[in-house]
Amino acid sequence: MKNRLKVLRAERDWSQADLAEALQVSRQTINALETGKYDPSLPLAFKIARLFGQPIETIFQDEA
Amino acid sequence: MTLVSQFSKAYQSNRLVRALVYGIAAAPLGYLFGRWLGGLKDFGEWNPAWPDMMAALLGVFMVGLGIGVLAVCASRKALGRQLDPEGGRPATKAQVFFYAQNGVVLLLAGVMMVTPVAVSTAFETVPPLVGSAAMVGLIALFLLQTAMNISVWIRSDELMRQAMTEVGALCFVVLQGAMFLWAAGGKLGLLPVMTLWDAVPVMMAVYLLIGFGVTWRRGLAA
Repeated sequence: MKNRLKVLRAERDWSQADLAEALQVSRQTINALETGKYDPSLPLAFKIARLFGQPIETIFQDEA
Repeated sequence: MTLVSQFSKAYQSNRLVRALVYGIAAAPLGYLFGRWLGGLKDFGEWNPAWPDMMAALLGVFMVGLGIGVLAVCASRKALGRQLDPEGGRPATKAQVFFYAQNGVVLLLAGVMMVTPVAVSTAFETVPPLVGSAAMVGLIALFLLQTAMNISVWIRSDELMRQAMTEVGALCFVVLQGAMFLWAAGGKLGLLPVMTLWDAVPVMMAVYLLIGFGVTWRRGLAA
């Protein structure tokens, strides 16, 4: 699954640690999400969508 | 080239340099430890069976790793640099406690691995009282480590839990398959019979290898 997390984060000038703190996860989780090594759970995806004020499907795109 | 990709490349090369430095520093230590073990064998002071040697090496490795983690946790700045090389802000108290707990879990695992070898090496025949005392100590350490492992699980985020679940599942598949095939080979007289103690260091080595593999694959080391 592809995502726009890195772009959205850069637009707000947030570091991975800032985003991790806002989502209450580790920085490694943010890094794994951004590099496509991990797909978030639904609760985390909703949390990310709420934080950026965008629908889930504009942040995460199915590669299929 | 963006600033982010420039930073990423610089960070990766920095990690490579650090890995090289650690490797160069660790190689002589490993060589000296191996020579010391070899020397003991030559002088007839300690002539261990392979599972004992393997358990001792793994135990020492885990104790060393645990001490290393605890040493980093002793400084909030040092831990912060490990957790967030980009920002480098000091680690929070909760992060220090969490990673220190991981260090203690590793340390306890190493001590538990080495104890049976150390006690059985110290005595030609282990006196029942000493054996019972060691066993009571091992059970206490095991219970403490289990409680700490559960606590680590509860306070982990979803990526860490996913990684732990994958390690557990992969270990089960690999080890139960290997155990069945070896047991079948033994029953058919094709392979030597292994004791449970023979299997323990093999199981721990497989667990550590799979753990490192999953950690790398999920980017937890980044």
